Amino acid sequence: MSEQQTITVEVDGKKLEASPGQMLIEVTDAAGITVPRFCYHKKLSVAANCRMCLVEVENAPKPLPACATPVADGMKAWTCSPLARQAQKGTMEFLLINHPLDCPICDQGGECELQDVAMGFGEGISRFAEAKRVVASHNIGPLIATDMTRCIHCTRCVRFGDEVAGIRELGATGRGEHMKIGVYVERSVSSELSGNVIDLCPVGALTSKPFRYRARAWELTQYDSVAAHDGVGSNIHVHVRNHQVMRTVPKDNEAVNETWISDRDRFSYLGLYTEDRLLKPMLRQDGQLQEVEWQQALLESAELLKTVDAARLGALVSPGSTLEEMHLLQKLLRELGSNNIDHRLRQADFRGDAADPAAPWLGQSFADLENNEAVLLVGSWLRKDQPLLNHRVRKSVLAGGQVMVINPVDYDFNYGLSNKLIGAPADMVAHLAGVAAALGADTAGVDASAGAEHQAIAEALKAAAKGLVLLGSMAQVHPDFSLLRLLANNIAQAANVDLGFVGEGANSTGAKLAGAVPHSGGGLSVAGMLKQGLDACILLNVEPEFDVANPVAMAGLLNGAKVVALTTHLSPWLLEYADLVLPVAATLETSGTFVNLQGDLQSFNGTARPVGEARPAWKVLRVLGNLADLEDFDYESSQDVRDEALQSIGEIKLDNSLADTSAVAASLISTELQRIGGVPPYSVDMLVRRSSALQHTPDGWKASLHVSADTASQLGLMDGGSAVLRQGEGEITLPLVVDGRVPPACVWMPSGVPGSELLGEGFAAVSLEKA
Amino acid sequence: MTLRCEPWARADKRADKETLFSPQIRAEIDQWVAKYPDEWKQSAVMASLRIVQDDNGGYLTRELMDRIADYLDMPPIAVYEVATFYSMYELSEVGAHKICVCTNVSCMICGSENIVDHLEKRLGIKLGQTTEDGKFTLKEVECLGACGGAPMFQIGKQYYENLTPELVDSILDSLEQDNGE
Amino acid sequence: MKTVIHYIRSLFLLELFKGMSVTGRYLFKKKFTLNYPEQKAPVSPRFRGLHAQRRYSNGEERCIACKLCEAVCPANAITIEAEPREDGSRRTTRYDIDLFKCIFCGFCEESCPVDAIVETRLYEYHFEDTDKKTGAYIMTKEKLLAMGDKYEAQLAEDLAAQAKYR
Repeated sequence: MSEQQTITVEVDGKKLEASPGQMLIEVTDAAGITVPRFCYHKKLSVAANCRMCLVEVENAPKPLPACATPVADGMKAWTCSPLARQAQKGTMEFLLINHPLDCPICDQGGECELQDVAMGFGEGISRFAEAKRVVASHNIGPLIATDMTRCIHCTRCVRFGDEVAGIRELGATGRGEHMKIGVYVERSVSSELSGNVIDLCPVGALTSKPFRYRARAWELTQYDSVAAHDGVGSNIHVHVRNHQVMRTVPKDNEAVNETWISDRDRFSYLGLYTEDRLLKPMLRQDGQLQEVEWQQALLESAELLKTVDAARLGALVSPGSTLEEMHLLQKLLRELGSNNIDHRLRQADFRGDAADPAAPWLGQSFADLENNEAVLLVGSWLRKDQPLLNHRVRKSVLAGGQVMVINPVDYDFNYGLSNKLIGAPADMVAHLAGVAAALGADTAGVDASAGAEHQAIAEALKAAAKGLVLLGSMAQVHPDFSLLRLLANNIAQAANVDLGFVGEGANSTGAKLAGAVPHSGGGLSVAGMLKQGLDACILLNVEPEFDVANPVAMAGLLNGAKVVALTTHLSPWLLEYADLVLPVAATLETSGTFVNLQGDLQSFNGTARPVGEARPAWKVLRVLGNLADLEDFDYESSQDVRDEALQSIGEIKLDNSLADTSAVAASLISTELQRIGGVPPYSVDMLVRRSSALQHTPDGWKASLHVSADTASQLGLMDGGSAVLRQGEGEITLPLVVDGRVPPACVWMPSGVPGSELLGEGFAAVSLEKA
Repeated sequence: MTLRCEPWARADKRADKETLFSPQIRAEIDQWVAKYPDEWKQSAVMASLRIVQDDNGGYLTRELMDRIADYLDMPPIAVYEVATFYSMYELSEVGAHKICVCTNVSCMICGSENIVDHLEKRLGIKLGQTTEDGKFTLKEVECLGACGGAPMFQIGKQYYENLTPELVDSILDSLEQDNGE
Repeated sequence: MKTVIHYIRSLFLLELFKGMSVTGRYLFKKKFTLNYPEQKAPVSPRFRGLHAQRRYSNGEERCIACKLCEAVCPANAITIEAEPREDGSRRTTRYDIDLFKCIFCGFCEESCPVDAIVETRLYEYHFEDTDKKTGAYIMTKEKLLAMGDKYEAQLAEDLAAQAKYR
């Protein structure tokens, strides 16, 4: 609609403006007129099957459902006339006929839409004296508890699966009285957004399983925060009871997460209160980590920092740390005279550092993702890595856009891919170069021939009025990342589409801005530190065995260095290698700021009380600065730190353009058997890895080696049998899974999962044999 | 938000369709698929279910429904929904002859209860059960639209109207003989 | 004149005899005083004494951790923690009543949908130990259930007697 028409409708005697095509309920919602409803949801299609929103409309013989009645000019409606009220009360009585009276044991009690509406529209006494129906519930996985007897058949969950999650797993089987919502065949739901049905369900039929029976809505205090596990920075409400996080639920923010959050953001809080949570500072004495007082731990740390040779001092910071923490850490290091700081822990290829864009970001706003006509994903399982960005991309597909992928594994997406090029990690470069060649762009010295598929991708990108080449997490950990990036850049320029990056962690864009990278001062990158070794090493929110590209080299580094670890959890390697561990607050317990992938600066306050003696990391770093006799380390609050950080950043200018487009040679050579690394969606950081519920979902790490059927038969391996994977010195024995998604001559063995620390870097030549 | 106006968005197309059904069945289903626009392929689900059910001896299994889902690029649950909704689809094994007795208002007034009683007595089974020899399944259904000939039942594709116990006996006798041949 | 009458009255100790006559009268009247603790006053079935938690006749605890009593308690004396029991049912893992905070208003009893938390007729109890660590003044779940087991007969009878007024 080019011209925005407005029409006038009259509701309850009030004149309201509306646009044609709107449903009556949208108009009344905007005007703050309450119409009771169950099945209507602003983000889902209209079903009009609960009949709760019946209203009286002039000239209509019967009450009409407000959610499915389009407005017309001059329309008159009454939401609480005797006729409307009678209809609403009648509907309510029918809905309550089969609803059990088990509110005292129902988790929804206190925050239940049915309870609320029944208070307004229900009768005190039921006229239904017959037996109520009982429905058996299926177990649909570790995240969602089901009590289908409570279901009122609003079908919000069914429509959510169909329209938002993109895979319809729940459905309404049977008819009439026997209709029930369920999976029909008992199995775990697999959507990465499945937790949202908990919020959608207006009754207690679908509730959170980990939260089950643990608290009541009225006991919880609600704080706002920002989710910390992907680059979206979803806005969340954190519900706290007795200073403990009880659950997290989404907070509406149309520009960021709409009304959804991913399961990872919803259930990661379960990792907060695990047994290995660090409660007190610890110091290595006589070869053992012993609990000490903060004072001593801080003094010892500061002493170490003061005495160590600055050139041999380095710091690794997780990309999920806040802007404040990163700013203070890099300031601490730089004032001590070292530039050895890095947040790109899983990156393997640093040859392109000179070309690094000033502030890598998505390349588009989240909302723009919906308008792309063509998207090329390079090395990305966007669906699981960034579920809410994937949701936006899916909308573009529904609107007729195309998505193409170049991936080392044939990941499943919840929309059709118009083209996919799946090949061994080394082939990714060749495929991308093929697309570049098809576009007539510079292939950066890669020998490329454009096949029909490359041509098709090139054409789709070229024809798109708006398009995107997106480098995913798999591309960024690729040993030829700089080459992939260069090729993607050339493609984007030749096809006149945007170039984007989806980094790891909540704050990868912020990390670059805050200066948690070595090359703004000529320091050592992660790879450099691993190669040259350090005398002292600071780890901030890093679990060294899982968070670093090459854990074997990391072990060497930790062995040779004095290690000061600021961490929430005490992992086995920290227990073994760290000389000082300082307990710091997790994201939900500290105040801070994240810069998400579209450059939104989102600050938040601490919600729950840090566990034990843990302190916010920014405070620890401030005190370390003071004790190390450094200047300007007097901050009153994290606000001060943020202000200083923002001052040094200046205006946030997101920029993906490469500073240098000189080519580098491909380093990854096809070998007989290649390992495919990458990090599974529920192994991205310390907290997520410890969330037991997430680990038990189908996307949790299932300790197995994946190979294609051909490779398995060539190597004489059986599906389900044990196999030994050898990489360099390391080896690991795991069950083998024959997986059609894996290309031939490859083994999919992710990084960041238990066992991967024995193997070293994620992409390398490996050997596989029967155990 | 508008009313639903687009087909169910689907994940990638699955499975090698050639392997799902025999060529005859595929040809039959394709005939129905051809009647609808490409993006509304799933409209053929009811016909497909019927074709597959007939081929499978009168009932559907979960595996068959999954295959139809794959064939029509639908989520399996959507096929289950259709199959559980309509009483014409059977989800467990049925006898060679499925007797669908109407017990809706017109038939009830005209004595369908007697017919049901008689059938139950003669076959020695209750509504919803199958005889031990697997010849007959007795099923209660809602109005079949033949109120003018109430009470009535349907066996196979045949309606039998104005039933009396004697007529029922003769019908069943002839069916038993047919079967014997 | 007034002064003279007053003088004569005080001379004959009139007030004293008047007072003594009251005493004398009560000396022979029926006595109301109870010799507590040998004698005890009758207690109403609605008496709100020390708390107890009841069980069903099959031994299953009644409390379903709905937390209504915790919510309604005006003195915030009740603390409940809950989680699913092994069989999946909703149960408390902690149910504490702080007797220093409790004002014996009986709201918990009234709010309970399953008649689990009740107040017994028991009013004779004390605790000397106010130490937070030993928590003698906390009625824990175990203590409450033990109370319920002990007085179940009386509690059931009282509840039955009151049923028609609720």
